Amino acid sequence: MSPGAKSQRDIMLDGLWRDNPIFRQILGICSTLAVTNLVLNTFVMCAALTLVTLMSCLTVSLLRNRTPRTIRMMVQTLIIAFYVILVDVLLKAYWPDMSRSLGPYVGLIITNCIIMGRCEAFAGSNPPIPSALDGLFSGLGYSFILLAIATGREVLGMGTFLGYAVPYFSGPYWDQWIIMVMPPGAFFMLAVILWVCRSIRPKEKRA
Amino acid sequence: MKGKAAYAVGYMFVVTAVFSTLVIGVARVTRQRVEANQRLALEKAVLNVFGDLSYANDAEAHRLFEERIEQRPDAAGAWVYVKDGQVAGYAVPIAGKGFWAPIRGVVGIDRDLRTITGIAFYEQSETPGLGARITEPFFRDPFEGTVLQTDGPPIEMVPPGSSLSEGQVHAISGATQTCMRLEELMNEDLRAWAESMSEREGQP
Repeated sequence: MSPGAKSQRDIMLDGLWRDNPIFRQILGICSTLAVTNLVLNTFVMCAALTLVTLMSCLTVSLLRNRTPRTIRMMVQTLIIAFYVILVDVLLKAYWPDMSRSLGPYVGLIITNCIIMGRCEAFAGSNPPIPSALDGLFSGLGYSFILLAIATGREVLGMGTFLGYAVPYFSGPYWDQWIIMVMPPGAFFMLAVILWVCRSIRPKEKRA
Repeated sequence: MKGKAAYAVGYMFVVTAVFSTLVIGVARVTRQRVEANQRLALEKAVLNVFGDLSYANDAEAHRLFEERIEQRPDAAGAWVYVKDGQVAGYAVPIAGKGFWAPIRGVVGIDRDLRTITGIAFYEQSETPGLGARITEPFFRDPFEGTVLQTDGPPIEMVPPGSSLSEGQVHAISGATQTCMRLEELMNEDLRAWAESMSEREGQP
């Protein structure tokens, strides 16, 4: 390992927690707000995003020594769009119901700042393996926050989890908070999660 | 400097060509499947509006549709359910603007041209958990047996919990926009269909 390079453990921890895309970098908020009212939809969205981030970082890294600096962003966008369209087409062909319920959001992964951010900040100047790892763990860091938000919204708003009734929340004593399923509910849930995560984050010195 | 620019342009061309070719390839390979999925969603919706057409899997649904459903010139654009050589019902297509994107579906009408036998959707992008619940049985089932009204709107959606009179069903709470739009597009298409059907009946 060359001096200055991040260890694999650091890459993983940064993506998941210390430099988490959602609550540290505040990236990818559009999809955080849009697709988190049903846990199943969120799960598929997260899987798609993680896959796209992983593959895009890997590809950008493989091409990094050939790509002229001046057009690197065009090339990155092209690569990201390529993987997103692939995911979209495959969902349409093999999981039409899910494709229908995610609607335009799969296509909008292209504009998710996390992917571009990781390609630009890391994959463009690092070898393929660490880049892929970085992409994977940034995607996972994004995913677990989204799933937490979706769980909160679905349980509070509909009294279900993955479509199954949750005791108490689906019962007569709980008046379902419809606003949690509506767009404003995402803001409330995101704010609470940001607050919680930033509070429990140890105050270590940043390198 | 000139050489650098030429390299950048050439590089972009090559990269674009490679990735586009791959995407086009995958899209072509899966195109038939995608089209078949869309067709199947429509066929299932048509079958679902008739209570006695049930199927266990996709292949059976397709076969049932081919066997029992016909498109006839005298049905004013509706699919006709044929049972023992007789018309058993119509599946009237409905389409229009939903809250976010178009809603497309079918309404099953009995051969009396007035009683709804079922309702199903094959395309909608309403809010998951709210408007998208129009696809769930709790919303769709009450349509069965509802009689279309001739004076006033054929179908009316009223707030959940309120008492129902003939031609009314409950809307979904929290999905007011979806229900209002659905009510409008349903009534518009059903009325137009009923009119062209009665015109046909008047003809020899």
